[in-house]
Amino acid sequence: MSYYLTVMAMYILIGIIAAWGLNLQFGETGVLNFAYVMFIAAGAYTTAVFTLGHPSANGTQQYFWGTHLPFPIPWIASMAVGAVLGVLVGLVSLRRLRGDYQAMVMLVVSLIATYLVSANTGFLNGQTGLALIPAPFGSVHLSELNYRWFFVAVTAVVALLVFDVMRRITGSPLGRTMRAVRENEAAAVALGTNVVKIRLLTMAVGGAIAALAGAIEVQFIGAWSPAGWTYPETFGLFAAVLVGGRGNLGGVALGAFLVQGLFLEGTVLLPSLGNPDLVGAVQWITMGVMIMLFMWFRPRGVLPERRRRFATEARSRVPLLLVRAQRDARG
Amino acid sequence: MNQVLSSLGFGIVTASILLPAAIGFTLQFSATNVLNIGFGSQMTLAAFIGYVCTSHGIGLWYALVLAGVFGGVTSLLLNRFLLTPFMRRGTTFFGMIVITIALSLVLEYTIEAIWGPVSVFYPLSTGGIVHVGAMSFTAEQLVIIGIGVALALATHAMLRYTRTGKAMRAVAGNAPLARASGVPAQRIVDLAWLLSGFMGGAAGVMLGISLASVSFTMGDTMLIEIIAAAVLGGVGQVYGAMLGSVVIGVLLEESAVVLSGAYAPISAFVVLVIVLLIRPTGLFAGTAKAKGVAA
Repeated sequence: MSYYLTVMAMYILIGIIAAWGLNLQFGETGVLNFAYVMFIAAGAYTTAVFTLGHPSANGTQQYFWGTHLPFPIPWIASMAVGAVLGVLVGLVSLRRLRGDYQAMVMLVVSLIATYLVSANTGFLNGQTGLALIPAPFGSVHLSELNYRWFFVAVTAVVALLVFDVMRRITGSPLGRTMRAVRENEAAAVALGTNVVKIRLLTMAVGGAIAALAGAIEVQFIGAWSPAGWTYPETFGLFAAVLVGGRGNLGGVALGAFLVQGLFLEGTVLLPSLGNPDLVGAVQWITMGVMIMLFMWFRPRGVLPERRRRFATEARSRVPLLLVRAQRDARG
Repeated sequence: MNQVLSSLGFGIVTASILLPAAIGFTLQFSATNVLNIGFGSQMTLAAFIGYVCTSHGIGLWYALVLAGVFGGVTSLLLNRFLLTPFMRRGTTFFGMIVITIALSLVLEYTIEAIWGPVSVFYPLSTGGIVHVGAMSFTAEQLVIIGIGVALALATHAMLRYTRTGKAMRAVAGNAPLARASGVPAQRIVDLAWLLSGFMGGAAGVMLGISLASVSFTMGDTMLIEIIAAAVLGGVGQVYGAMLGSVVIGVLLEESAVVLSGAYAPISAFVVLVIVLLIRPTGLFAGTAKAKGVAA
């Protein structure tokens, strides 16, 4: 049970990190990245090839290249790959297209990526996927269970760091520009914002965060295959952001906890009924219905985005001026 | 050379399946401005309805018609009771695509929940291969080509020579102006959904016949090809979609010869990327420019 708790805690934390990355793209800037799970996969595969070692050392698995580097390097490499991939995908889809059209292209990118990796065995071991991916922190000597809790703790620290970065971005002038792009593209352009640049930036940062989530996940579970990142997975995260409240970091974390943790992972505990794929199928059906219900009844989520006020200084000064003016009038 | 010619035959079959699918996708988009990502799943659902028909002893071609009608009616109902209410509520196009993808999830996994993750098979006749030069076709493939071309011609005739077609082009061009000129826009939009669903349903069964099997993820791969064809022709352009289908269909099968078969869908994707980089409005730029989808 304690073992299962570590799995649960881990999936919730990874879900929260990934949902924050998606929130930056979808919640703040309004980019519908329907290929989001591909960035998680890119991070996972990068960390896998950066830890597995040379392909000849793993006789049964085929992959195009591999090395073994110590702990933070694979994760950093993953983030770099995620960011570069984000810019590349953004350059194809974001420059001259309307928002929904961009989303359609990204969905195609996601579908084709799964297809490409599955079809090409020599690249990343095809449909079977990579396994026996070593866990990080080899020098830490703990019992199996304690090691897992240690890993959870490290992930929690990473989540806090991501939260801090997200809070700083959304609170900064950059964050305000992102929301301007989301709310009214034409107005943002009129004010001199380079909309494409802002979108590409969110693709890069969000892509890096997604890749980080994938990097952590792959080292925790030790295996990764195309079946784990089919396009519906992206909508598990979209559901998390929509349910929690797009644009509200706390809300998104709550959404990730509910959707990624309780709904997607918690149902593993349910006894299986008949058709072994039925639980999975019903989960995705419910996910689709949930997205529609939230779009209808509560499009801003359980914890809606807070209205930001920037006018504190100006407001405090106006009464003072009034007081002065009244005093002068009296005097 | 011979291989290139013989795969041209497959290319023509694939193009004939893509034709109604891409026309349906584009026709609906041009009339409503909503990108229906659920189109692939709707096709798959219709293909399974076709399977249910054949397993109850209904002939293959009647099953195709029934599946088409089923596709049309579901498409119409989905628009009336799901998408239009969201539009009326002021959901943006941005939000609508989230709705259609959610719809796609619901349909795709409902299919899996009912029929399971394995493929089902259509009863096909064996034998009877017709040779045309280096190309050879089964009888079913010839009928598929016939249906694909007939649906394309019928669309052309409807759009050019009937009042309804004229009204549909008017709504696609400028909906408020069409409404002001007395075109019953709502009815035209309903008709567009109905036709789109019918075309998609028929294409789903045609694909099932061509592949000899139907599985719940069938629509996903098809969606890539449909989108590539539609974007190449210029999204919202029915004639562009026709041209795009032929190009993508032939290209898919020819690239299967040059590369290995598993890479065929990737060539459709490469075309899509090239078009988006060089000319995102597609070959026929009219609608894409007018609706502001691509600049």
